[in-house]
Amino acid sequence: MTKRALITGITGQDGSYLAELLLGKGYEVFGIVRRTSTPSDIRIAHLGDRVKAVVGDLSDTPSLLDAVEESQPDEVYNLAAQSFVGDSWRQPIYTGDVDGLGVTRLLEAIRRVKPDARFYQAATSEMYGKVHEVPQSETTPFHPRSPYGVAKVYGYYITLNYRESFGMHASNGILFNHESPRRGLEFVTRKITYAVARIKHGLQSELRLGNMDSKRDWGYAGDYVEMMWLMLQQDAPGDYVIATGETHTVREFCEIAFSHVGLDYQDHVVVDQRFVRPAEVDLLLGDPSKAKRVLGWEPKVSFAGLVEMMVDADLARLGG
Amino acid sequence: MTRRALITGAAGQDGTYLTELLLGKGYRVWGVPGPYPGDFHERAAASEGRLEAVEADLTNMVSLLEAVEASQPDEVYNFAAQSSVGDSWAEAIATTEVNAVGVLRILEALQQLAPKARFFQAASAEMFGNAAEAPQRETTPLRPRSPYAASKTYAFHIVGSFRDSYGMHASNGIMFNHESPLRGLNFVTRKITDAVARIRFGLAQTVALGNLDAQRDWGFAGDYVEAMWLMLQQDCPDDYVVASGEVHTVRDFCEAAFAHVDLDYRDHVVVDERFMRPVDVSVLHGDPSKAKRVLGWAPRVTFGELVVMMVDADVARVSAQSEGVRA
Repeated sequence: MTKRALITGITGQDGSYLAELLLGKGYEVFGIVRRTSTPSDIRIAHLGDRVKAVVGDLSDTPSLLDAVEESQPDEVYNLAAQSFVGDSWRQPIYTGDVDGLGVTRLLEAIRRVKPDARFYQAATSEMYGKVHEVPQSETTPFHPRSPYGVAKVYGYYITLNYRESFGMHASNGILFNHESPRRGLEFVTRKITYAVARIKHGLQSELRLGNMDSKRDWGYAGDYVEMMWLMLQQDAPGDYVIATGETHTVREFCEIAFSHVGLDYQDHVVVDQRFVRPAEVDLLLGDPSKAKRVLGWEPKVSFAGLVEMMVDADLARLGG
Repeated sequence: MTRRALITGAAGQDGTYLTELLLGKGYRVWGVPGPYPGDFHERAAASEGRLEAVEADLTNMVSLLEAVEASQPDEVYNFAAQSSVGDSWAEAIATTEVNAVGVLRILEALQQLAPKARFFQAASAEMFGNAAEAPQRETTPLRPRSPYAASKTYAFHIVGSFRDSYGMHASNGIMFNHESPLRGLNFVTRKITDAVARIRFGLAQTVALGNLDAQRDWGFAGDYVEAMWLMLQQDCPDDYVVASGEVHTVRDFCEAAFAHVDLDYRDHVVVDERFMRPVDVSVLHGDPSKAKRVLGWAPRVTFGELVVMMVDADVARVSAQSEGVRA
């Protein structure tokens, strides 16, 4: 019996890797795609009509009811979000509506139309914010700093709620930062590797960044989406941290990225106050021991390997 | 210089008590009465211009900008909410629109038009859920177990985010249950005292309730609004538990309420499955020592006095009604 999956945010980084993974496992894959005047499906264009696109939006309940009705999913992966922390101060209500309330709308649609579907919520290490302990695990209290973090905390709790109140197989993946060549340009990792490639090609000379000392636990998105799938294969729903267990500064990322093409980041990086956040998350470091124990989690790509993969991909885009 | 306050949910229990408190202190008050105004407009008309109605809706950003513009507030108190925990499962989306995103809209409106205004958010002990420790204090981790509690958790955190991000004087009162004769009839305390009054006058025989063993920390709303005002008088914004520090069961409340009119609750209380919640939090017990220490606040009305106050008020109302006199 072919399994059916519905993915929201299928056009994003994680959505595209997850779609590939599930197609590879023989799933029928449906994806919710927002209607936009400019095509947004660049990351899944190569999958063609193997992915069945359904128009919808987390702010629009009828579209979600229709999407669930049409796809009759065994598994639903909610990856859709306004996903850039920095912009969440500029669009706080939209962020709250989609990243927070949107989860409730989707859960309600599933509960009405296909209550036995298994549900995955894209929770995030940003919920830990001003961290209460180091490293952060499933039991670490949340202290979100941005409208993004706050919305994701709500999304986490409402997922837990529907699990407890209605017996839904609903799980939270508390994923620490996960990057790839498909990461959006606004995210600092891709912002750096893209700039490195352009600087190497003489297309620009400087890169303006915010807080160089901010520390994150960065992994490769391709590894992380497999954990999302594994969570939904467990008999019982649960909440899991997925992380590498290492933390690095933005500065270190720059160091490796620039030296990979024979440059020194100090010659090109300028700190620009505009990119400093109103309220910073100084340090994120995840403890993935539960995922290791229960799901067999083991990150395959190292930190340096990730940086170099991303730089190489951006160089390739510019013709090497 | 007359201080100006804007209150959302002004027609509800807390809004009414706070309005009285602030008018007593010489404030000018702008109240958003919301969809159930009760006697708000009559009170405004009788206030000699010191209490004014301003219309706004927490799902409508423009209306909030206009309310802030009209009131030019020094202090803003947000009570507007879908406040029924029990209803929140059936109305999760609407509850979140008002209780969560609605708070964000107010904060944004203040950032735009009155960034120096001091803001009070009615956070809720329900955020503690099946609490990590007892009693619960400001540092107790949150474990919300209903859509209502999840929405209040969002609001709690967004207040913190705006405080840290923009330096706003924005505070959360983590309010444990606070009751009064003005409490809505859907809340168990008032449901009981109203039933006691109707049973006392032979208008009913029984009252159907849910979990009689649920424990709550109950206080008098009239005392609690004073804590809220005190929070906004501090130099620095902060979060405070407001509670009596004592717990009682629904059963205790029934016993005291029925006994006050010489009845035995066991003769009249029926447990009905329909009032059981999908997930109930069993014990909410607050530790108000920070509020005591920093704000100098302590509750005055005891549990027993609260029950008696509410029963007496409902008895007076029902008695007047049953004699054909408008109370």
